[in-house]
Amino acid sequence: MATMKDIATSPLLLVLVAIGLAYIVAFSVVYLMKAYRRALELGVTKEDLMRVIKTSAVSTIVPAISIAIGLFALIGSLGTIWSWWRLSVIGSLSYETLFSGNIAKVLGYMSSAEMMDTASGREFGIIMILMSVGMLSGFLILIPFGKKYATSVDKSQADSNPWKMVFSGCFMLCLLAVYVPILLFGDTIQAAVMLTGLVVALILSILAQKPKLAWLNDFIMAISMIAGMASAQLWTNIFG
Amino acid sequence: MSKNTKSAPKVLDPFQAWCHRWGRVGTVIALIYMVALPFIVLGSFNSIPAFGEVFNITTFGLLIIYIAVGISEALSYIPIMGSSAYLGFITGNIMNLKVPVAINAIKTANQEPSTPAGDAVAAIGIAVSSIVTIIILAITALLSSQLSFLYDIPAFRTASDYLIPALFGSMTLGLFASTSSGSKVVKNGIMGVVPVIIIVSLITLGARIMGGTEASTAIMGLVGPIIVVMLPVAILSSWIMFKKGIIKVVDNDKK
Repeated sequence: MATMKDIATSPLLLVLVAIGLAYIVAFSVVYLMKAYRRALELGVTKEDLMRVIKTSAVSTIVPAISIAIGLFALIGSLGTIWSWWRLSVIGSLSYETLFSGNIAKVLGYMSSAEMMDTASGREFGIIMILMSVGMLSGFLILIPFGKKYATSVDKSQADSNPWKMVFSGCFMLCLLAVYVPILLFGDTIQAAVMLTGLVVALILSILAQKPKLAWLNDFIMAISMIAGMASAQLWTNIFG
Repeated sequence: MSKNTKSAPKVLDPFQAWCHRWGRVGTVIALIYMVALPFIVLGSFNSIPAFGEVFNITTFGLLIIYIAVGISEALSYIPIMGSSAYLGFITGNIMNLKVPVAINAIKTANQEPSTPAGDAVAAIGIAVSSIVTIIILAITALLSSQLSFLYDIPAFRTASDYLIPALFGSMTLGLFASTSSGSKVVKNGIMGVVPVIIIVSLITLGARIMGGTEASTAIMGLVGPIIVVMLPVAILSSWIMFKKGIIKVVDNDKK
């Protein structure tokens, strides 16, 4: 009878994950090439596109390192290969961590470490299937309704229908309106970290208005995020 | 007669049309593979669990997190990511990575979201971000046994625990700015979500007063369902304020 460890460390799982990741990379490259060509046709300059590529790569590094750090947390409960797969596709660091933090208790184990050591292959099967099927709900909206939903907020018609422009802004503002009060009032350390990031972003954006420091614009998000995260230890020492 | 008065069907930009056709096909292929993968592996070990073992009352609590998150992410982020939503959703980490990168890409190229050019640069940002993330995670997974000491450093663990607040701190200015770029600008758009800010603030403060920090931080786990409930409130409130002239769309120079 196979154990969780047998499956979590199996070469078959590794090979299938590698094939899946190769497909996702190919999918991304095709998207990138199509989008690049079309952006040039639409009048976006090569210089602007290179800046987009550069800033996207740079601003990805910090969150990706955070996700990589999260990978260590997941490895203890789900094994390296499955954690790697989940964080590379569909999954999200926060929800995968939330799931892995709870699954051991749901399956009747005292800790993730105990589950990893003693769970059966069938129990790992429950985890794998739940995680794979769970996130499909978003795709049940995206696949059939994505086209209609995305184009319903097309700003190109804003001149003839200004409400559409207001409507398209609602989504981002609602996101902000939900997260900010929770972060601000839910926990003092969270609030302090968020405000640190915000203050640093504000200072950088003021500095970036000077012509000599305009290059800072490309790094405001990454630098202010690092500053916010780095401040967490200080705030934990003060308020923790 | 009636045919002439009807508006003509909207012609999609070629890139957007490609995304909605081939992006969707590529996404369906990826989804089939992702769902099939555990069954192939488990089948080879003769360890496929029974239906009732996977879907039951104890696992439902965990499944509902994913379902709520999936639905709320689709409702909230498809309009922001536009036609690149297919790639963004399949590569995951939407809130903490893909949405900020898409917004940043649009801002960097001085484009407007939900326009053909805005969609194209957002797609470039998301594609680059996806490739970089996969490379970094692959390196980390390969070196996991050598790098595991990092997770033992307390400051490192603390910093990674506060990713989301740091992210929102760094993004808030950009989110406000994104409503005021281009030739037209939404004036007082933030007023439309004031009811959401008040409701969520009261819920969070109420939870903190009644159940302490533990209860108020637990709300973070419910953020998906809260967004689903609050989105109609934000849209309705914005519509009322738009009709009353509180929220306006004006030329950028009249701002």
